[in-house]
Amino acid sequence: MAENAVIFKGTKDGLYIILKEEMDLSTIKYNLEKKIKPSKRFFEGANIMNFKGKKLTQDEFDELKEIMEQEYGMTVIGSYNDKDYPVHEEHRAAKKPEILEQLPFDNVHKGEALIVRATLRSGQLIQYKGDVVVIGDVNPGAHIKSAGSVIVMGTVRGIIQAGANGDYGAFIVAYKMQPSQLRIGDIITRSPDGMGSKSDNPEIALVKQGMIVVEPYLKNR
Amino acid sequence: MGEVIVVTSGKGGVGKTTTTANIGTGLALKGKSVVLVDADIGLRNLDVVMGLENRIVYDLVDVVEGVCRQRQALIKDKRFPNLYLLPAAQTKDKNAVNPEQMQKLTGDLAEEFDYVILDCPAGIEQGFKNAIAGANKAIVVTTPEVSAVRDADRIIGLLEASGLRNPMLIINRIKMDMVKRGDMMNIDDMIDILAIDLLGVVPDDDLIVVSTNRGEPVIAIEQSLAGQAYRNIVRRVLGEDIPFMNLESEDGFFKRVAKLFGLNKKKQ
Repeated sequence: MAENAVIFKGTKDGLYIILKEEMDLSTIKYNLEKKIKPSKRFFEGANIMNFKGKKLTQDEFDELKEIMEQEYGMTVIGSYNDKDYPVHEEHRAAKKPEILEQLPFDNVHKGEALIVRATLRSGQLIQYKGDVVVIGDVNPGAHIKSAGSVIVMGTVRGIIQAGANGDYGAFIVAYKMQPSQLRIGDIITRSPDGMGSKSDNPEIALVKQGMIVVEPYLKNR
Repeated sequence: MGEVIVVTSGKGGVGKTTTTANIGTGLALKGKSVVLVDADIGLRNLDVVMGLENRIVYDLVDVVEGVCRQRQALIKDKRFPNLYLLPAAQTKDKNAVNPEQMQKLTGDLAEEFDYVILDCPAGIEQGFKNAIAGANKAIVVTTPEVSAVRDADRIIGLLEASGLRNPMLIINRIKMDMVKRGDMMNIDDMIDILAIDLLGVVPDDDLIVVSTNRGEPVIAIEQSLAGQAYRNIVRRVLGEDIPFMNLESEDGFFKRVAKLFGLNKKKQ
């Protein structure tokens, strides 16, 4: 019960101390001590934005503030009056200016992408309604099924299905293209039997004249 | 109506998939129409051993769930026109199908093919129950190891309990020189314990590894000892009466093996 009487919570703005509603001040003080004492060195010099949760009286606030500053060497930045206003909206907006879209040409596809930072292993299936980016390999037996395009920053050895909803404009890009099968829309192609020639260059697979063609996308390599 | 044969073992790694691939290919070589069914959903291998992995579009689960027609999921072998593979799904697990569905599936396949050969997963759980559900014959594979024989014994019990009487035994990966030195269980010991009919003995053969990695069953390789053993097994499956000591007359190694046998008998 009393374990959660005091919670330290880090936010974008800084550290808050959340006090549980039904706790009285002595319990709070006791729990503060219990939490901070073992790692006093860690907390020393920390800035506390404010207290949250339990409604404090002015006296209680001052008392806690004094404890924090005198005993534990922390600084409480907020004051009693703004304790219920956690974030200054205009303040945050000033910190993070929005990136405005600016494109030098038209050949740009905008949409949602799923970014997977892992190696996909046999039996793992990724299905997504947008584009899929894999930072890792796609091993044999792994399967990616994407409504959009698929980009693999690694080696493709499994099955990649792009444009699964029938989009022949979807493509598949990989650093190393050694798939067991590629599908775009309802067109299926498989790698030739036996050890075919392997390209060490990054390649793109796209539909040309009703067939899936795999070619280097950096022409000069 | 064709025969539905399940190849099973209990223990993993004793050669179920290799046996399935070779018997299937062998029967196809003999002119039978054959379909190999990979019942190892989630850990499929038979497609790799057959060298057909990159041709898979639909799988067993798709057929069972009605996503595609049975015919669409069957993959025609590269070399033998009357040999087909029904691959397992890799992204699902054993619970994706149930024994009733497997019974129907194998029944449908048996209408079309002379032989339906099921590659059973290791273990005795759902996957095993699925694999044996539609079978009317069973082949139990074991290796000359106590653990494999123990598991084979358990499997034979389970097979008999579910109505698959008289399963046949294949002893895989035997090394005659080790048997002779007494370092490996001998064939008679194993038959003593398991008390079922012996379908064949397959010697340990490096060519198995080569052929598995290439995706070409060893049975098609003339000079392979294991290939010869599988060719005999296939003829026995077809009902021919082939003597077991056929290992003797093959080549240098076999003659040596035969001699060792001879010595063994004299000692006894």
